[in-house]
Amino acid sequence: MICYNCGANLTHNDFCTNCGADVARYKKIIGLSNLYYNEGLEKAVIRDLSGAIVCLRQCLKMNKNHVDARNLLGLIYFEMGEYVAALSEWVISKNLRPNKNIADDYIGIIQNNPASLDSIGQAVKKYNLALNYCYQGSLDLAVIQLKKVINLNPRFVQAHQLLALLFIQSEQWEDAKRELMVCKRIDINNTVTLRYLKEVRAVLDIDDNSGFGFKTRKKAAETVTYKLHNETIIEPVGRKDNKTLSTLINVFIGVAIGIAVAYFMILPARISSVRGSFDESLKVANEQLDAKTASIAELEQQLKTADSKNEKLSSQLELYIGEDGTMTAMDNLLNAVSVYINDPSDVTEVAQSLDEIPVDALDQASEEFLSVYQLLLSRVGGEVALEYYESGMKYYQSEQYESAIGDLSKAYSYDNTNADALYNLGNAYRKYGDEVNAVDTYQAVIDNFPGTETATRAQQYINELNGE
Amino acid sequence: MINFEEELKKFHPSLEIEDAETAIYNQNLTDMADLLVSLVKEDKEEEKEKE
Repeated sequence: MICYNCGANLTHNDFCTNCGADVARYKKIIGLSNLYYNEGLEKAVIRDLSGAIVCLRQCLKMNKNHVDARNLLGLIYFEMGEYVAALSEWVISKNLRPNKNIADDYIGIIQNNPASLDSIGQAVKKYNLALNYCYQGSLDLAVIQLKKVINLNPRFVQAHQLLALLFIQSEQWEDAKRELMVCKRIDINNTVTLRYLKEVRAVLDIDDNSGFGFKTRKKAAETVTYKLHNETIIEPVGRKDNKTLSTLINVFIGVAIGIAVAYFMILPARISSVRGSFDESLKVANEQLDAKTASIAELEQQLKTADSKNEKLSSQLELYIGEDGTMTAMDNLLNAVSVYINDPSDVTEVAQSLDEIPVDALDQASEEFLSVYQLLLSRVGGEVALEYYESGMKYYQSEQYESAIGDLSKAYSYDNTNADALYNLGNAYRKYGDEVNAVDTYQAVIDNFPGTETATRAQQYINELNGE
Repeated sequence: MINFEEELKKFHPSLEIEDAETAIYNQNLTDMADLLVSLVKEDKEEEKEKE
């Protein structure tokens, strides 16, 4: 302690041994200041921060130069989230004792962290804005702003208190209680906090007694609460675990999960695999089927070819084989040869035998057969043609045109130089009413015997039949 | 029962960082020791005037 008058160190005397000034009252003031400081320190140790602030302020009122008290006050403001007030105290402290002052470190911590400083500034501005919203009656906006403030500065006691007040106003008692409990954790003996908390608890107790709380209390009675390190553990009382049942339930859940896994993961893969092998088999079977279908088509084609050959051969065979099973064409030729050898004058009989030889058989006959046939035909052809012409003309004159057509056709076939036979054949067709064959026959007359009188007449009849 | 309006009046805007300097300068730092010293001085002056 130094003398306020000369700055000399004071002794136990009530006067300054250096200048003689009366320091009795001064000593009492300094002593009182120290007393307040000690009391403030004790309260700060037990986290009665608001009480400590009161003591430390009293201390500083007694002795503004109490650096420790000022530093502690700044530290308490800092703890309560009021950083600007804390900085103010520390700055003054530093001015009072520039050297060997712990306030220097405190200021350095804040100043060396620009983000923290910016965060502090933002929190303060938002708090003031929220307070302004409260004054204006915009309580919802104020709540939003205060939540932001608390997010930026979680230890800002005033912000928590104001938020609690707003929750109380909107009758959100549990929320208010939560905020107040936060305040209480920071400052255990804050009168505002305690007053609000008392109000909130009173309301919640009423709620508890009115029914809901009864259940809560009953539930609380059914639980055992204890603390393990920093955690609060709540366990139900009298609740016995049915291990067998829980084991069965777990097994059942495990089986269900297994089935679900098999159904959703394994089964689709298995189905896909089986489907793949089935598709492969189906593909092979389809290929085999295609090959067999192709071979069947080829066989059918061969069968058709064989059938057509068979039909052709059958028709050829029919030409050779008569209804009685004998070879008609050959027999008729041999018969004609036999008749001609026995009686060369019997041309009628020879002609009948030759006529019975089918025309198709001549197309497919051997050269030997044809040479014998042509020989007989040259020997008897002229006479046969004449006989057929005469008989045909008789039939024509007696208006038996069908018979006339048959005989005149044979007459022309045995002698194709007979223009009259062909011309009269055309007439027989015309009179018989077969105009198509008539025109064809007349046209044959014109083609085979051009420039003749019969050709001229044939042309006239063609014109007549065509209606020209 | 808490009166919201009355309680609200107890909350004051917090000091912003920009205002810290002004607040420090305007802080009344007069303590009991200063008062005592000034009283002692006044007494001495009065004694001198009487003499």
